[in-house]
Amino acid sequence: MELTAEEHGILEGARGPYLAKCMRWLVEWGEVMGARRLVRVDNTHVLLPVPNLMARGASQRTIQHYVDGLKEACSHHTAPGCYCTVHTLFLTMDDLDVPENDPAQVRMQKEIGEMAAAAGFIPTWTCAPYLVGNVPLKGEICAWTESSAVVYANSILGARTTRHGNESAIAASLLGVVPEFGVLLEENRKGTLRVEVSADLDSPTDWGALGYFAGKLAGLGIPVFNGVRRPSQDEAKQLCAALATSGGVSMCHIAGVTPEAPSLEAAFQGDVPAGCVTFTGDTLRDTYASLRNHTGDQIDSVILGCPHASIREIAEIASLLKGQRVAEGVRLWVDTARGTKAMADAMGYTAIIEAAGGRILCDTCPTNMRMPARRIVTHGFKQAHYARGMVGAEVIVAETGPSVRAALAGRWLGDD
Amino acid sequence: MTEIRGRGVVKGRAEGPALVADATLSFWGEVDPVTGCVIAVGHPLEGQSLAGRVLIIRSTKGSSATPMILNLAKLEGKAPAALVNVEVDSLAALGCIVNDIPMLTDLDQDPFETIRTGDHVVVDADLGLLTIRSRI
Repeated sequence: MELTAEEHGILEGARGPYLAKCMRWLVEWGEVMGARRLVRVDNTHVLLPVPNLMARGASQRTIQHYVDGLKEACSHHTAPGCYCTVHTLFLTMDDLDVPENDPAQVRMQKEIGEMAAAAGFIPTWTCAPYLVGNVPLKGEICAWTESSAVVYANSILGARTTRHGNESAIAASLLGVVPEFGVLLEENRKGTLRVEVSADLDSPTDWGALGYFAGKLAGLGIPVFNGVRRPSQDEAKQLCAALATSGGVSMCHIAGVTPEAPSLEAAFQGDVPAGCVTFTGDTLRDTYASLRNHTGDQIDSVILGCPHASIREIAEIASLLKGQRVAEGVRLWVDTARGTKAMADAMGYTAIIEAAGGRILCDTCPTNMRMPARRIVTHGFKQAHYARGMVGAEVIVAETGPSVRAALAGRWLGDD
Repeated sequence: MTEIRGRGVVKGRAEGPALVADATLSFWGEVDPVTGCVIAVGHPLEGQSLAGRVLIIRSTKGSSATPMILNLAKLEGKAPAALVNVEVDSLAALGCIVNDIPMLTDLDQDPFETIRTGDHVVVDADLGLLTIRSRI
Protein backbone atom coordinates (compact mmCIF):
# COMPACT_ATOMS: atom_id res chain seq x y z
CA MET A 1 0.00 0.00 0.00
CA GLU A 2 1.30 3.48 -0.78
CA LEU A 3 1.37 5.75 2.24
CA THR A 4 1.90 9.50 2.41
CA ALA A 5 4.91 10.80 4.32
CA GLU A 6 2.61 11.79 7.19
CA GLU A 7 0.96 8.35 7.32
CA HIS A 8 4.35 6.71 7.22
CA GLY A 9 5.51 8.93 10.06
CA ILE A 10 2.54 7.91 12.23
CA LEU A 11 3.34 4.26 11.50
CA GLU A 12 6.89 4.94 12.68
CA GLY A 13 5.69 6.48 15.93
CA ALA A 14 5.58 10.22 15.18
CA ARG A 15 2.31 10.53 17.15
CA GLY A 16 3.14 7.98 19.82
CA PRO A 17 2.95 4.22 20.21
CA TYR A 18 -0.83 3.84 20.39
CA LEU A 19 -1.52 5.71 17.16
CA ALA A 20 1.35 3.79 15.56
CA LYS A 21 -0.47 0.60 16.54
CA CYS A 22 -3.73 1.97 15.12
CA MET A 23 -1.97 2.81 11.84
CA ARG A 24 -0.43 -0.67 11.74
CA TRP A 25 -3.91 -2.22 12.13
CA LEU A 26 -5.27 -0.14 9.22
CA VAL A 27 -2.26 -0.71 6.96
CA GLU A 28 -2.02 -4.47 7.56
CA TRP A 29 -5.78 -4.83 7.18
CA GLY A 30 -5.72 -2.79 3.98
CA GLU A 31 -2.86 -4.83 2.56
CA VAL A 32 -4.53 -8.19 3.16
CA MET A 33 -7.83 -6.88 1.75
CA GLY A 34 -6.19 -5.47 -1.39
CA ALA A 35 -6.26 -1.72 -0.63
CA ARG A 36 -3.77 0.51 -2.44
CA ARG A 37 -4.08 3.58 -0.25
CA LEU A 38 -5.75 5.13 2.77
CA VAL A 39 -8.61 7.58 2.19
CA ARG A 40 -10.21 10.20 4.41
CA VAL A 41 -13.12 8.97 6.53
CA ASP A 42 -15.91 11.37 7.51
CA ASN A 43 -18.01 9.24 9.82
CA THR A 44 -17.44 6.33 12.21
CA HIS A 45 -19.49 4.12 14.51
CA VAL A 46 -17.32 2.38 17.10
CA LEU A 47 -17.64 -0.37 19.69
CA LEU A 48 -16.63 0.56 23.25
CA PRO A 49 -18.41 -2.03 25.40
CA VAL A 50 -17.29 -3.50 28.71
CA PRO A 51 -17.70 -7.24 28.17
CA ASN A 52 -20.28 -8.44 30.72
CA LEU A 53 -18.71 -11.86 30.91
CA MET A 54 -18.16 -12.12 34.67
CA ALA A 55 -21.48 -13.91 35.06
CA ARG A 56 -20.28 -16.42 32.49
CA GLY A 57 -16.99 -17.13 34.22
CA ALA A 58 -14.49 -14.91 32.42
CA SER A 59 -11.50 -13.93 34.52
CA GLN A 60 -11.15 -10.49 36.07
CA ARG A 61 -7.86 -10.26 34.18
CA THR A 62 -9.59 -10.65 30.80
CA ILE A 63 -12.16 -8.00 31.58
CA GLN A 64 -9.51 -5.60 32.92
CA HIS A 65 -7.23 -6.16 29.94
CA TYR A 66 -10.05 -5.47 27.51
CA VAL A 67 -11.24 -2.40 29.42
CA ASP A 68 -7.67 -1.03 29.58
CA GLY A 69 -7.57 -1.22 25.76
CA LEU A 70 -10.79 0.80 25.52
CA LYS A 71 -9.44 3.39 27.95
CA GLU A 72 -6.25 3.70 25.94
CA ALA A 73 -8.32 4.37 22.81
CA CYS A 74 -10.43 6.97 24.62
CA SER A 75 -7.39 8.83 25.89
CA HIS A 76 -6.79 10.12 22.34
CA HIS A 77 -8.97 12.57 20.43
CA THR A 78 -11.05 11.81 17.35
CA ALA A 79 -9.86 13.20 14.03
CA PRO A 80 -10.98 16.76 13.22
CA GLY A 81 -14.26 16.85 11.28
CA CYS A 82 -15.03 13.16 11.76
CA TYR A 83 -18.56 12.41 13.04
CA CYS A 84 -18.04 9.57 15.55
CA THR A 85 -20.90 7.74 17.29
CA VAL A 86 -20.86 4.68 19.55
CA HIS A 87 -22.38 1.23 19.24
CA THR A 88 -24.60 -0.63 21.68
CA LEU A 89 -23.37 -2.08 24.99
CA PHE A 90 -23.42 -5.44 26.72
CA LEU A 91 -25.23 -3.93 29.71
CA THR A 92 -27.57 -1.05 30.45
CA MET A 93 -26.48 1.99 32.38
CA ASP A 94 -29.94 2.20 33.95
CA ASP A 95 -30.69 0.33 37.17
CA LEU A 96 -31.52 -3.26 36.32
CA ASP A 97 -31.13 -5.81 39.05
CA VAL A 98 -29.97 -8.91 37.19
CA PRO A 99 -26.60 -10.70 37.48
CA GLU A 100 -25.79 -9.79 33.87
CA ASN A 101 -25.85 -6.09 34.82
CA ASP A 102 -23.06 -6.22 37.40
CA PRO A 103 -22.78 -2.79 39.11
CA ALA A 104 -18.97 -2.83 39.04
CA GLN A 105 -19.02 -3.28 35.26
CA VAL A 106 -21.71 -0.62 34.87
CA ARG A 107 -19.37 1.77 36.73
CA MET A 108 -16.52 0.84 34.35
CA GLN A 109 -18.81 1.46 31.39
CA LYS A 110 -19.84 4.87 32.70
CA GLU A 111 -16.19 5.81 33.13
CA ILE A 112 -15.45 4.73 29.55
CA GLY A 113 -18.50 6.70 28.40
CA GLU A 114 -17.16 9.86 30.00
CA MET A 115 -13.71 9.31 28.52
CA ALA A 116 -15.23 8.62 25.09
CA ALA A 117 -17.26 11.81 25.19
CA ALA A 118 -14.16 13.81 26.17
CA ALA A 119 -12.33 12.18 23.27
CA GLY A 120 -14.95 13.39 20.79
CA PHE A 121 -17.14 10.29 20.48
CA ILE A 122 -20.89 10.89 20.77
CA PRO A 123 -22.11 8.21 23.19
CA THR A 124 -25.23 7.09 21.33
CA TRP A 125 -24.94 3.48 22.57
CA THR A 126 -26.99 2.04 19.76
CA CYS A 127 -26.94 -0.52 16.96
CA ALA A 128 -29.02 1.84 14.78
CA PRO A 129 -27.05 5.12 14.65
CA TYR A 130 -29.11 6.25 11.65
CA LEU A 131 -32.14 6.54 13.98
CA VAL A 132 -30.43 8.95 16.37
CA GLY A 133 -28.89 11.49 14.08
CA ASN A 134 -25.97 9.77 12.38
CA VAL A 135 -27.32 9.70 8.83
CA PRO A 136 -24.43 9.80 6.36
CA LEU A 137 -25.04 11.20 2.90
CA LYS A 138 -24.72 9.35 -0.39
CA GLY A 139 -21.06 8.69 -1.12
CA GLU A 140 -19.88 9.59 2.41
CA ILE A 141 -16.94 7.41 3.46
CA CYS A 142 -17.71 5.76 6.80
CA ALA A 143 -16.11 3.22 9.14
CA TRP A 144 -19.00 1.54 10.90
CA THR A 145 -19.21 -1.41 13.21
CA GLU A 146 -22.58 -3.16 13.60
CA SER A 147 -23.18 -5.45 10.68
CA SER A 148 -26.82 -4.41 10.21
CA ALA A 149 -25.97 -0.69 10.21
CA VAL A 150 -23.22 -1.31 7.64
CA VAL A 151 -25.79 -2.83 5.27
CA TYR A 152 -28.24 0.03 5.96
CA ALA A 153 -25.60 2.72 5.36
CA ASN A 154 -24.40 1.23 2.09
CA SER A 155 -27.71 0.08 0.68
CA ILE A 156 -30.39 2.46 1.90
CA LEU A 157 -28.33 5.64 2.31
CA GLY A 158 -25.73 5.06 -0.39
CA ALA A 159 -22.90 5.82 2.02
CA ARG A 160 -19.77 3.66 1.83
CA THR A 161 -18.40 1.48 4.59
CA THR A 162 -16.76 -1.91 4.74
CA ARG A 163 -17.62 -4.25 7.60
CA HIS A 164 -15.56 -2.79 10.44
CA GLY A 165 -14.52 -4.35 13.72
CA ASN A 166 -13.80 -2.45 16.93
CA GLU A 167 -10.06 -1.97 16.35
CA SER A 168 -10.39 -0.68 12.77
CA ALA A 169 -13.26 1.67 13.63
CA ILE A 170 -11.35 3.09 16.61
CA ALA A 171 -8.22 3.53 14.48
CA ALA A 172 -10.25 5.21 11.74
CA SER A 173 -11.85 7.58 14.27
CA LEU A 174 -8.52 8.66 15.74
CA LEU A 175 -6.51 8.84 12.49
CA GLY A 176 -9.28 10.02 10.14
CA VAL A 177 -8.43 7.50 7.43
CA VAL A 178 -9.49 4.04 6.26
CA PRO A 179 -7.97 1.58 3.81
CA GLU A 180 -9.75 1.76 0.47
CA PHE A 181 -11.05 -1.69 -0.45
CA GLY A 182 -14.30 -3.59 -0.94
CA VAL A 183 -17.50 -1.57 -1.22
CA LEU A 184 -15.61 1.72 -0.89
CA LEU A 185 -14.87 1.22 -4.58
CA GLU A 186 -17.61 1.58 -7.21
CA GLU A 187 -16.73 -1.64 -9.03
CA ASN A 188 -17.23 -3.68 -5.85
CA ARG A 189 -20.80 -2.39 -5.33
CA LYS A 190 -22.13 -4.50 -8.18
CA GLY A 191 -24.85 -7.05 -7.42
CA THR A 192 -23.86 -10.73 -7.25
CA LEU A 193 -27.19 -12.49 -6.63
CA ARG A 194 -30.57 -11.77 -8.26
CA VAL A 195 -33.55 -12.35 -5.99
CA GLU A 196 -36.97 -12.14 -7.64
CA VAL A 197 -39.61 -11.41 -5.01
CA SER A 198 -43.19 -12.53 -5.58
CA ALA A 199 -44.24 -12.79 -1.93
CA ASP A 200 -46.38 -10.00 -0.49
CA LEU A 201 -44.32 -8.30 2.21
CA ASP A 202 -46.74 -6.71 4.66
CA SER A 203 -44.61 -5.84 7.69
CA PRO A 204 -41.04 -5.13 8.85
CA THR A 205 -40.73 -8.75 9.99
CA ASP A 206 -41.69 -9.97 6.49
CA TRP A 207 -38.78 -7.91 5.17
CA GLY A 208 -36.61 -9.54 7.83
CA ALA A 209 -37.62 -12.92 6.43
CA LEU A 210 -36.55 -11.81 2.96
CA GLY A 211 -33.16 -10.73 4.33
CA TYR A 212 -32.69 -13.91 6.34
CA PHE A 213 -33.42 -16.01 3.24
CA ALA A 214 -31.17 -14.00 0.91
CA GLY A 215 -28.24 -13.49 3.29
CA LYS A 216 -27.64 -17.20 3.56
CA LEU A 217 -27.45 -17.53 -0.23
CA ALA A 218 -25.46 -14.33 -0.81
CA GLY A 219 -22.67 -15.12 1.68
CA LEU A 220 -20.20 -12.23 1.36
CA GLY A 221 -21.86 -11.06 -1.87
CA ILE A 222 -24.41 -8.38 -2.81
CA PRO A 223 -28.04 -9.49 -3.29
CA VAL A 224 -30.31 -7.51 -5.59
CA PHE A 225 -34.04 -7.62 -4.92
CA ASN A 226 -36.37 -7.22 -7.86
CA GLY A 227 -40.12 -6.92 -8.06
CA VAL A 228 -40.62 -5.39 -4.66
CA ARG A 229 -42.03 -2.05 -3.50
CA ARG A 230 -40.16 0.62 -1.54
CA PRO A 231 -39.77 -0.46 2.11
CA SER A 232 -40.42 1.85 5.06
CA GLN A 233 -37.49 2.81 7.27
CA ASP A 234 -38.44 0.09 9.79
CA GLU A 235 -38.79 -2.49 7.02
CA ALA A 236 -35.40 -1.55 5.56
CA LYS A 237 -33.89 -1.89 9.03
CA GLN A 238 -35.19 -5.46 9.38
CA LEU A 239 -34.05 -6.39 5.87
CA CYS A 240 -30.51 -5.14 6.50
CA ALA A 241 -30.21 -6.76 9.93
CA ALA A 242 -31.32 -10.16 8.68
CA LEU A 243 -28.99 -10.03 5.65
CA ALA A 244 -26.02 -9.58 7.97
CA THR A 245 -27.21 -12.37 10.29
CA SER A 246 -27.50 -15.32 7.95
CA GLY A 247 -24.81 -13.87 5.68
CA GLY A 248 -21.75 -11.64 5.72
CA VAL A 249 -23.36 -9.14 3.38
CA SER A 250 -22.00 -5.56 3.24
CA MET A 251 -24.80 -4.21 1.06
CA CYS A 252 -27.80 -4.99 -1.12
CA HIS A 253 -29.76 -3.22 -3.82
CA ILE A 254 -33.50 -2.96 -4.32
CA ALA A 255 -34.13 -2.43 -8.02
CA GLY A 256 -35.94 0.82 -8.67
CA VAL A 257 -35.71 1.85 -5.02
CA THR A 258 -32.28 2.21 -3.42
CA PRO A 259 -29.96 5.09 -4.40
CA GLU A 260 -27.56 3.10 -6.56
CA ALA A 261 -30.19 0.92 -8.24
CA PRO A 262 -32.50 3.06 -10.37
CA SER A 263 -32.98 -0.15 -12.39
CA LEU A 264 -32.07 -3.84 -12.28
CA GLU A 265 -29.38 -3.15 -14.90
CA ALA A 266 -27.86 -0.41 -12.75
CA ALA A 267 -27.78 -2.69 -9.69
CA PHE A 268 -25.68 -5.19 -11.66
CA GLN A 269 -23.69 -2.44 -13.42
CA GLY A 270 -25.15 -3.61 -16.75
CA ASP A 271 -24.38 -7.28 -16.25
CA VAL A 272 -27.75 -8.77 -15.17
CA PRO A 273 -27.47 -12.51 -14.54
CA ALA A 274 -30.05 -14.74 -16.21
CA GLY A 275 -30.19 -17.03 -13.19
CA CYS A 276 -32.00 -15.98 -10.05
CA VAL A 277 -33.54 -17.28 -6.85
CA THR A 278 -37.18 -16.59 -6.07
CA PHE A 279 -38.80 -15.53 -2.82
CA THR A 280 -42.42 -16.66 -2.96
CA GLY A 281 -45.22 -16.71 -0.43
CA ASP A 282 -44.18 -20.27 0.43
CA THR A 283 -40.56 -19.18 0.94
CA LEU A 284 -41.81 -16.47 3.27
CA ARG A 285 -43.76 -18.96 5.40
CA ASP A 286 -40.85 -21.44 5.41
CA THR A 287 -38.42 -18.72 6.51
CA TYR A 288 -40.61 -17.84 9.49
CA ALA A 289 -40.92 -21.55 10.33
CA SER A 290 -37.12 -21.91 10.30
CA LEU A 291 -36.91 -19.60 13.33
CA ARG A 292 -39.69 -21.12 15.39
CA ASN A 293 -38.46 -23.97 17.51
CA HIS A 294 -41.01 -23.72 20.35
CA THR A 295 -42.26 -26.90 21.91
CA GLY A 296 -45.12 -25.20 23.79
CA ASP A 297 -47.14 -21.99 23.88
CA GLN A 298 -46.28 -20.53 27.33
CA ILE A 299 -43.83 -17.65 26.90
CA ASP A 300 -41.70 -15.63 29.32
CA SER A 301 -40.11 -12.96 27.11
CA VAL A 302 -41.18 -10.67 24.31
CA ILE A 303 -38.29 -8.74 22.80
CA LEU A 304 -39.03 -5.84 20.47
CA GLY A 305 -36.51 -3.39 19.06
CA CYS A 306 -33.91 -5.47 17.22
CA PRO A 307 -32.25 -3.50 15.77
CA HIS A 308 -33.03 -0.73 18.25
CA ALA A 309 -36.61 0.54 17.93
CA SER A 310 -37.48 3.71 16.06
CA ILE A 311 -39.80 6.25 17.64
CA ARG A 312 -42.48 5.07 15.21
CA GLU A 313 -42.15 1.48 16.42
CA ILE A 314 -42.35 2.65 20.02
CA ALA A 315 -45.50 4.63 19.18
CA GLU A 316 -47.03 1.53 17.58
CA ILE A 317 -46.15 -0.67 20.56
CA ALA A 318 -47.60 1.92 22.95
CA SER A 319 -50.85 2.02 20.99
CA LEU A 320 -51.11 -1.79 21.05
CA LEU A 321 -50.50 -1.84 24.83
CA LYS A 322 -52.56 1.16 25.87
CA GLY A 323 -54.87 0.39 28.77
CA GLN A 324 -53.87 -3.27 28.89
CA ARG A 325 -51.56 -5.33 31.05
CA VAL A 326 -48.68 -7.65 30.14
CA ALA A 327 -49.31 -11.13 31.59
CA GLU A 328 -47.77 -12.02 34.94
CA GLY A 329 -44.34 -13.60 34.55
CA VAL A 330 -43.73 -12.17 31.07
CA ARG A 331 -40.98 -9.64 30.40
CA LEU A 332 -41.84 -7.24 27.60
CA TRP A 333 -38.70 -5.41 26.57
CA VAL A 334 -38.55 -2.63 24.00
CA ASP A 335 -34.88 -2.07 23.21
CA THR A 336 -33.83 1.32 21.95
CA ALA A 337 -31.24 4.06 22.02
CA ARG A 338 -31.14 6.37 25.03
CA GLY A 339 -31.87 9.29 22.66
CA THR A 340 -34.99 7.63 21.29
CA LYS A 341 -36.20 6.81 24.79
CA ALA A 342 -35.83 10.48 25.70
CA MET A 343 -38.25 11.26 22.87
CA ALA A 344 -40.60 8.47 24.00
CA ASP A 345 -40.49 9.89 27.55
CA ALA A 346 -41.34 13.37 26.29
CA MET A 347 -44.14 12.09 24.06
CA GLY A 348 -45.76 9.92 26.72
CA TYR A 349 -45.10 6.53 25.08
CA THR A 350 -42.80 5.35 27.88
CA ALA A 351 -45.52 5.97 30.48
CA ILE A 352 -48.04 3.92 28.46
CA ILE A 353 -45.61 1.02 27.98
CA GLU A 354 -44.60 1.04 31.66
CA ALA A 355 -48.22 1.29 32.84
CA ALA A 356 -48.86 -1.89 30.85
CA GLY A 357 -45.97 -3.60 32.67
CA GLY A 358 -43.46 -3.34 29.84
CA ARG A 359 -40.01 -1.77 29.95
CA ILE A 360 -37.92 0.29 27.58
CA LEU A 361 -34.36 -1.03 27.79
CA CYS A 362 -31.65 1.42 26.76
CA ASP A 363 -28.08 0.95 25.51
CA THR A 364 -28.31 -2.80 24.84
CA CYS A 365 -30.72 -5.71 24.34
CA PRO A 366 -31.48 -8.82 26.41
CA THR A 367 -29.66 -11.11 23.99
CA ASN A 368 -26.54 -8.95 23.98
CA MET A 369 -26.71 -9.09 27.80
CA ARG A 370 -27.26 -12.86 27.54
CA MET A 371 -30.20 -12.59 29.90
CA PRO A 372 -31.67 -16.05 30.48
CA ALA A 373 -35.13 -16.82 29.06
CA ARG A 374 -37.04 -19.99 28.30
CA ARG A 375 -39.26 -18.99 25.41
CA ILE A 376 -38.96 -15.71 23.49
CA VAL A 377 -41.26 -14.04 20.99
CA THR A 378 -39.51 -11.36 18.92
CA HIS A 379 -40.17 -9.38 15.76
CA GLY A 380 -36.50 -9.38 14.76
CA PHE A 381 -35.00 -12.21 12.73
CA LYS A 382 -31.56 -11.22 14.02
CA GLN A 383 -32.69 -11.47 17.65
CA ALA A 384 -34.46 -14.79 17.00
CA HIS A 385 -31.41 -16.26 15.27
CA TYR A 386 -28.91 -15.37 17.97
CA ALA A 387 -31.13 -15.77 21.06
CA ARG A 388 -31.40 -19.52 20.52
CA GLY A 389 -27.69 -20.05 21.17
CA MET A 390 -26.81 -17.01 23.29
CA VAL A 391 -29.49 -17.43 25.91
CA GLY A 392 -30.50 -21.01 25.20
CA ALA A 393 -34.13 -20.07 24.64
CA GLU A 394 -36.76 -21.40 22.31
CA VAL A 395 -37.81 -18.66 19.89
CA ILE A 396 -40.85 -17.60 17.90
CA VAL A 397 -40.27 -14.90 15.30
CA ALA A 398 -43.45 -12.95 14.57
CA GLU A 399 -44.78 -9.57 13.50
CA THR A 400 -45.13 -6.83 16.14
CA GLY A 401 -48.91 -7.24 16.58
CA PRO A 402 -48.90 -10.97 17.36
CA SER A 403 -45.80 -10.46 19.55
CA VAL A 404 -47.62 -7.92 21.71
CA ARG A 405 -50.74 -10.11 21.85
CA ALA A 406 -48.55 -12.95 23.11
CA ALA A 407 -47.15 -10.67 25.83
CA LEU A 408 -50.67 -9.75 26.97
CA ALA A 409 -51.89 -13.35 26.97
CA GLY A 410 -48.72 -14.91 28.37
CA ARG A 411 -48.75 -17.43 25.60
CA TRP A 412 -48.26 -17.62 21.86
CA LEU A 413 -51.66 -17.26 20.19
CA GLY A 414 -50.53 -17.60 16.58
CA ASP A 415 -50.06 -15.03 13.83
CA ASP A 416 -53.69 -13.95 13.33
CA MET B 1 2.00 -36.09 4.87
CA THR B 2 -0.17 -34.11 2.49
CA GLU B 3 0.74 -30.56 1.52
CA ILE B 4 -1.87 -28.10 0.27
CA ARG B 5 -0.81 -24.81 -1.26
CA GLY B 6 -2.67 -21.64 -0.37
CA ARG B 7 -2.22 -17.94 0.18
CA GLY B 8 -1.29 -16.48 3.53
CA VAL B 9 -3.70 -13.71 4.53
CA VAL B 10 -2.31 -13.04 8.00
CA LYS B 11 1.23 -14.20 8.60
CA GLY B 12 2.39 -16.70 11.19
CA ARG B 13 2.66 -20.42 11.82
CA ALA B 14 0.47 -22.59 14.02
CA GLU B 15 -0.64 -26.17 14.34
CA GLY B 16 -3.36 -28.19 15.93
CA PRO B 17 -6.25 -30.53 15.29
CA ALA B 18 -8.45 -29.41 12.41
CA LEU B 19 -12.08 -28.44 12.96
CA VAL B 20 -13.77 -28.59 9.59
CA ALA B 21 -17.20 -27.58 8.31
CA ASP B 22 -18.40 -26.31 4.95
CA ALA B 23 -20.28 -23.56 6.76
CA THR B 24 -20.11 -19.91 7.79
CA LEU B 25 -19.79 -18.62 11.36
CA SER B 26 -20.27 -15.38 13.29
CA PHE B 27 -17.99 -15.20 16.32
CA TRP B 28 -20.27 -12.82 18.25
CA GLY B 29 -23.52 -14.63 18.91
CA GLU B 30 -22.36 -18.02 17.70
CA VAL B 31 -19.18 -18.57 19.75
CA ASP B 32 -18.87 -18.27 23.52
CA PRO B 33 -15.47 -16.65 24.22
CA VAL B 34 -15.31 -18.02 27.76
CA THR B 35 -15.74 -21.68 26.80
CA GLY B 36 -14.46 -21.34 23.23
CA CYS B 37 -17.43 -23.41 22.02
CA VAL B 38 -19.83 -22.89 19.12
CA ILE B 39 -23.25 -22.10 20.60
CA ALA B 40 -25.24 -21.56 17.38
CA VAL B 41 -28.24 -23.88 17.41
CA GLY B 42 -28.26 -26.23 14.42
CA HIS B 43 -24.76 -25.21 13.29
CA PRO B 44 -22.66 -28.16 12.04
CA LEU B 45 -20.05 -27.27 14.69
CA GLU B 46 -22.53 -26.73 17.55
CA GLY B 47 -20.94 -27.73 20.86
CA GLN B 48 -17.43 -28.03 19.41
CA SER B 49 -14.55 -26.11 21.00
CA LEU B 50 -12.42 -23.87 18.81
CA ALA B 51 -9.65 -23.61 21.41
CA GLY B 52 -6.25 -24.47 19.95
CA ARG B 53 -7.80 -25.88 16.79
CA VAL B 54 -7.32 -24.94 13.15
CA LEU B 55 -10.75 -23.71 12.11
CA ILE B 56 -11.50 -24.58 8.49
CA ILE B 57 -14.77 -23.01 7.29
CA ARG B 58 -16.13 -21.25 4.21
CA SER B 59 -15.98 -17.78 5.79
CA THR B 60 -17.05 -15.76 8.77
CA LYS B 61 -20.34 -13.87 8.49
CA GLY B 62 -22.68 -11.93 10.72
CA SER B 63 -21.55 -9.69 13.53
CA SER B 64 -18.93 -6.97 13.42
CA ALA B 65 -17.89 -8.01 16.94
CA THR B 66 -15.97 -10.97 15.49
CA PRO B 67 -12.56 -9.38 16.28
CA MET B 68 -13.75 -8.53 19.80
CA ILE B 69 -14.88 -12.08 20.51
CA LEU B 70 -11.61 -13.46 19.08
CA ASN B 71 -9.76 -11.06 21.38
CA LEU B 72 -11.71 -12.15 24.47
CA ALA B 73 -11.30 -15.82 23.52
CA LYS B 74 -7.56 -15.27 23.13
CA LEU B 75 -7.36 -13.64 26.57
CA GLU B 76 -9.27 -16.61 28.01
CA GLY B 77 -6.96 -19.08 26.20
CA LYS B 78 -9.83 -20.32 24.01
CA ALA B 79 -9.00 -18.85 20.60
CA PRO B 80 -8.47 -21.02 17.53
CA ALA B 81 -4.81 -21.66 16.61
CA ALA B 82 -5.35 -20.60 13.00
CA LEU B 83 -8.12 -19.85 10.50
CA VAL B 84 -8.40 -21.38 7.05
CA ASN B 85 -11.22 -19.76 5.07
CA VAL B 86 -12.35 -20.23 1.47
CA GLU B 87 -13.52 -16.61 1.27
CA VAL B 88 -12.02 -13.75 3.28
CA ASP B 89 -14.47 -11.64 5.28
CA SER B 90 -12.83 -8.35 6.30
CA LEU B 91 -13.80 -9.08 9.92
CA ALA B 92 -11.96 -12.40 10.08
CA ALA B 93 -8.87 -10.76 8.56
CA LEU B 94 -8.99 -7.93 11.10
CA GLY B 95 -9.58 -10.31 14.01
CA CYS B 96 -6.58 -12.40 12.99
CA ILE B 97 -4.33 -9.33 12.52
CA VAL B 98 -5.04 -7.81 15.91
CA ASN B 99 -4.88 -11.14 17.73
CA ASP B 100 -1.82 -12.62 15.93
CA ILE B 101 -3.72 -15.59 14.54
CA PRO B 102 -2.40 -16.95 11.22
CA MET B 103 -4.94 -17.06 8.40
CA LEU B 104 -4.83 -18.91 5.10
CA THR B 105 -7.08 -18.86 2.00
CA ASP B 106 -7.13 -19.84 -1.71
CA LEU B 107 -6.20 -23.49 -1.13
CA ASP B 108 -5.44 -25.44 -4.30
CA GLN B 109 -7.54 -28.37 -3.04
CA ASP B 110 -11.04 -28.41 -1.60
CA PRO B 111 -10.38 -28.41 2.16
CA PHE B 112 -13.80 -29.93 2.87
CA GLU B 113 -12.87 -32.94 0.72
CA THR B 114 -9.29 -33.38 1.87
CA ILE B 115 -9.23 -32.47 5.56
CA ARG B 116 -11.28 -34.10 8.29
CA THR B 117 -12.02 -32.86 11.78
CA GLY B 118 -9.31 -34.23 14.06
CA ASP B 119 -6.56 -34.41 11.44
CA HIS B 120 -3.42 -32.77 12.83
CA VAL B 121 -2.54 -29.88 10.54
CA VAL B 122 0.20 -27.26 10.36
CA VAL B 123 -0.62 -23.85 8.91
CA ASP B 124 2.32 -21.82 7.64
CA ALA B 125 0.85 -18.57 6.40
CA ASP B 126 4.32 -17.15 5.68
CA LEU B 127 4.90 -19.88 3.09
CA GLY B 128 1.22 -20.21 2.14
CA LEU B 129 1.16 -23.89 3.06
CA LEU B 130 -1.13 -26.24 4.95
CA THR B 131 0.34 -29.61 5.87
CA ILE B 132 -1.70 -32.55 7.09
CA ARG B 133 0.73 -34.13 9.52
CA SER B 134 -1.36 -37.05 10.64
CA ARG B 135 -4.78 -38.40 9.84
CA ILE B 136 -7.32 -39.25 12.45
